[in-house]
Amino acid sequence: MVKRKLGALEKVEADLPNLQHKIRRDPKSYIEDFRAQHYQYESHREIFMAAPSAATDTGIISLRELIDFISHVADCYPEILKDFPQQLIDMLMQHHLVLEPELREKIVGSIVLLKKKDLLDSATLLHTLFPILITTPSKTLRALLFQKILSELRQANSKTTNHKLNRTMQTVLFNLVTSDRTSSKALWAIKITRELWKRQIWTDAKAVEVMKEAALSENEKVIVGGVRFFLGGDKEREDMEDESSDEETLDIGRLRHTLQINKKSKKKARVAEKAMATHKKKERKKNQPHPLNFSALHLLHDPQGFADSMFTKHLQSSRAKLNLEQKLLVLQLVSRLVGLHKLHIMSLYSYFQKFLTPRQPSVTSFLASLAQASHDLVPPDVLEPLIQKIANEFVSEASAGEVATAGLNAIREICVRQPLAMNETLLQDLVMYKKSKDKGVMMASKGLLSLYRDVGAQMLKKRDRGKEASMGLRSGEKEQRRFGQQDIGGIEGLELLEKWKEEERRKRREEKGLASDAEDDEDEEDDWAAWNIEDDDDSDDSGEWINVESDVEIELSDSEDEGKNRPSKKSKQDDAEAKEKEKEKEDAAQEAKLSTLATTRILTPADLAKLAELRAQASVESAVNGSRSRRAAQPAARHTDDPLTAAEIEGLASLSAGKATREERIAHAREGKPDREEHKSKEGRRRERKQEQGKSTTNKEKARRKNFLMTLGKAKSKNKRSLVETRAVLKAHHERQKRGGKRGNLGN
Amino acid sequence: MGSSAKRKKEKQKDFQKPKLKVGKAKAKPENFTDTSFRSKAIVLNQQSLQLAAPTSSSQFSHHLSLLSSKSDSQRRDSLAHLTTSIASRPVNSPLPQPVSVMLPSLLPLILDANNNVRTALLKLLKTLPSNDVEDHVAQLLPYVRAGMTHLAADIRVSAVEILSWMVDAAGEAVVSCAGGWIKTFNCFLSVLGWHTEESARWSSNRASFGKSGSQGKPMVKVLGALAGFLDAGIGAPGTSVDDTVSPDDPSSLAWPFPLCQTNQHMISESAAPYAYLNLFGQPRDEEGEMYETREDRYRVFSTRFLSAVERGLKSAREEGGELGRASSSVSKVLKDALSYGAGP
Repeated sequence: MVKRKLGALEKVEADLPNLQHKIRRDPKSYIEDFRAQHYQYESHREIFMAAPSAATDTGIISLRELIDFISHVADCYPEILKDFPQQLIDMLMQHHLVLEPELREKIVGSIVLLKKKDLLDSATLLHTLFPILITTPSKTLRALLFQKILSELRQANSKTTNHKLNRTMQTVLFNLVTSDRTSSKALWAIKITRELWKRQIWTDAKAVEVMKEAALSENEKVIVGGVRFFLGGDKEREDMEDESSDEETLDIGRLRHTLQINKKSKKKARVAEKAMATHKKKERKKNQPHPLNFSALHLLHDPQGFADSMFTKHLQSSRAKLNLEQKLLVLQLVSRLVGLHKLHIMSLYSYFQKFLTPRQPSVTSFLASLAQASHDLVPPDVLEPLIQKIANEFVSEASAGEVATAGLNAIREICVRQPLAMNETLLQDLVMYKKSKDKGVMMASKGLLSLYRDVGAQMLKKRDRGKEASMGLRSGEKEQRRFGQQDIGGIEGLELLEKWKEEERRKRREEKGLASDAEDDEDEEDDWAAWNIEDDDDSDDSGEWINVESDVEIELSDSEDEGKNRPSKKSKQDDAEAKEKEKEKEDAAQEAKLSTLATTRILTPADLAKLAELRAQASVESAVNGSRSRRAAQPAARHTDDPLTAAEIEGLASLSAGKATREERIAHAREGKPDREEHKSKEGRRRERKQEQGKSTTNKEKARRKNFLMTLGKAKSKNKRSLVETRAVLKAHHERQKRGGKRGNLGN
Repeated sequence: MGSSAKRKKEKQKDFQKPKLKVGKAKAKPENFTDTSFRSKAIVLNQQSLQLAAPTSSSQFSHHLSLLSSKSDSQRRDSLAHLTTSIASRPVNSPLPQPVSVMLPSLLPLILDANNNVRTALLKLLKTLPSNDVEDHVAQLLPYVRAGMTHLAADIRVSAVEILSWMVDAAGEAVVSCAGGWIKTFNCFLSVLGWHTEESARWSSNRASFGKSGSQGKPMVKVLGALAGFLDAGIGAPGTSVDDTVSPDDPSSLAWPFPLCQTNQHMISESAAPYAYLNLFGQPRDEEGEMYETREDRYRVFSTRFLSAVERGLKSAREEGGELGRASSSVSKVLKDALSYGAGP
């Protein structure tokens, strides 16, 4: 027999990838070959199971390759491979400790692959991988399993939230944390929960519950993990979201433009198409409603109980073995909970007492925590000794500038939250520091002063009160708030809207030539009409709206009887005017009075939109206006959810630290500005920008850059022109100028 | 732009004279090749020189350890050494190492990639005493089965050869050990490509993948092995060679008169008398179960394999030639077994 020529692939004795490829293309005709390989796998498995640890792979084909092969073609022969997934799972579960690392990783990968092929459900997969993750001593395997578990959970939640799976997984994690409080295995629960929280896959109270249990554990690592989650998890989530949202916002117009101008190629078209697709996707995403996510601190079920037990377990008890850093973290969390939810832990304040000395390491963190823990429902007599102690220990002529600044700042931060905690003599004493030569101390003291001008001017000396506060005191309007007294709620910016409406109405009346003060209902009707188009045709429907006007008169404002109503309105005009005057008189009082607009009238969507706009405008204006108003607004601008940090307590302490060196000053100056690589002319920078945007140069630029030798000929010939020629050229030039260039822009 | 000046400069660079300076070495030309070399030597500081030659037993174990060597020829030579030392030992003396020690290093060689190693292995196995083999059949069989379904045709063939040797040496043990009957039979069918109706037809390209060596002679070998295997498993008791256990064999006669069939109640003399209880192993399924009596095996065979075998034999006969002749030996065994039926 003539020796047959062999193809390159056939020469290889055992070529599983080739067989795999063939099977994938035609599963039916290669079933015999597959069966043979399956028997092969079975016998290898038998050999392996007899001695799992001694499985040294000799020969050409190893069990690992067979597993890989079979799991890749598993979807072609489901009934032959009924128990294949279970076999793999058993192999992994029973022998993961002794398995050879490569084989182990292959088995994990194959199980995940089978899940991808739907031969395994994700609950089984997670129930297989998770116990191994917790128990295995191998670092690489843990990393692999962690990554697989995360991707599995993400994938399961990618289309819609898989509530069932999430619930089972959360229960597993919860049990892991609560079952053995001393072990550090709960770290895995923390890792997984935190990662999924960051990616907004788990946003519910159950995940927070897991972390809460972790924070109450007895293992330091677990405690810190749980506490850190509460302190930083939400920030992390926000950052993640920002990162994903502002990737590169490409300018679609420019893209189209360059596509028109540049050389066309298939590749460029493909790139452009892809960019368009991503742009479209992003647009669609932008239009979707923003997912409403509560922060972890708000999702806690029983903040009082949690804060209580955290405090007693980790801080107060003598058995707690946390170090200072960990204690500070716990303290931050507890004080934040207290401040945010206005909880009462009375022993917390006396706990602070012994830490409030300048010698205490990281005392500013303690001060920040204390300020954070005070709110307006804390009894003032609990806080008073603390403030007294801070004043005694920190704020004195003898103490260093930074120390005094930190103390004053801390006192101010406490008093912002509970103004009643301050007594008169101490306040007057502290305010005296505004004359200090140290800049930091001076500013901190002024901060305290301006705060009390706002909240308790009568405690200040007369000369410190300032004009506004003393006027307010005299009129009796600026009163110190009582303990527990709450602000009357309102809609922010409503008075702005009211003012704007008033102006609009006046304008319209003026246009129509009517008296500017009278009121009419037309505009409201227009508003509604503009928003609900379907209501437009049946006018009597919209006519039945009852408009409640600001002067408490209720009347039916039908569009049909408007003509009839008009004279009566005119007559009413007079007393409306009178009222207006009255209002102007008690101008100041009116400011404080709650606007009646919201109570007397239903705000249309147009109104609400305008309200938001006005609010934004006002905030911009206040920011632009003088620094004084801005400084006053600053503490109010801080959101109540935001933590108070040690850096804020230290504040302007850097100012009192003495003169900065030149380098420091330069660095400080550079801090605010975006990086600017080199100094260049404006023109040069513009040119650069143009170039990077893919735009061409101007004709002028081209002329300037033209090679000297190329211009030489023309220059020479210019000299030799006759008068007539020169005239003709000049004429032509003039003509061209008039036309507007060579091509002309007159359109003919 | 400015290119002419640039080009001129470039051109001039080619014709620049190298500057020679007194006291400095001449610059190397551009196409200079460094042809210097250094030599290194390996120096052995110590050598273990001994006057006495290693004993034969230490040599034996040394060669046993060399079986996992990377080099093919080393493995082959070690196997050859082992074979000669076993074969040339004095009659009735024990093996240099017990079989249970040798087997773990021998077994992986069944799947060895090299032909010569595998033939050397077969030679070695054939020198082993058959009663020793009997106890280790359960260990050997998974490797043999893995070999029978291997992608490489040569490995398949040598695995079949080893199996036929095993059947010759310890037929009863092979067919009755755990997984020995059904799983091995499955492997046979897969080697022959007789599993499904479709693949058993002569027109289909059977055993299509892997190196095609499965036509002709290898198939004949497989059929021969199958005949032996069938005979050992379900052959009619009278006809088979090793199944001549007469009711009054010497062991039963050893008991004095009032006792009859006492040896049935005594502990069996085989190495693992309670293996069928499977006290320590993995739980077994139907395929991995032990089928210790001919009845059991016959029942399993007739329900599972009979139709496939008959179909395969028919097509083999139709193919004619050497294959057809080989198939006739299988048919003969099959006919005998069928005529004997499920049992007496």
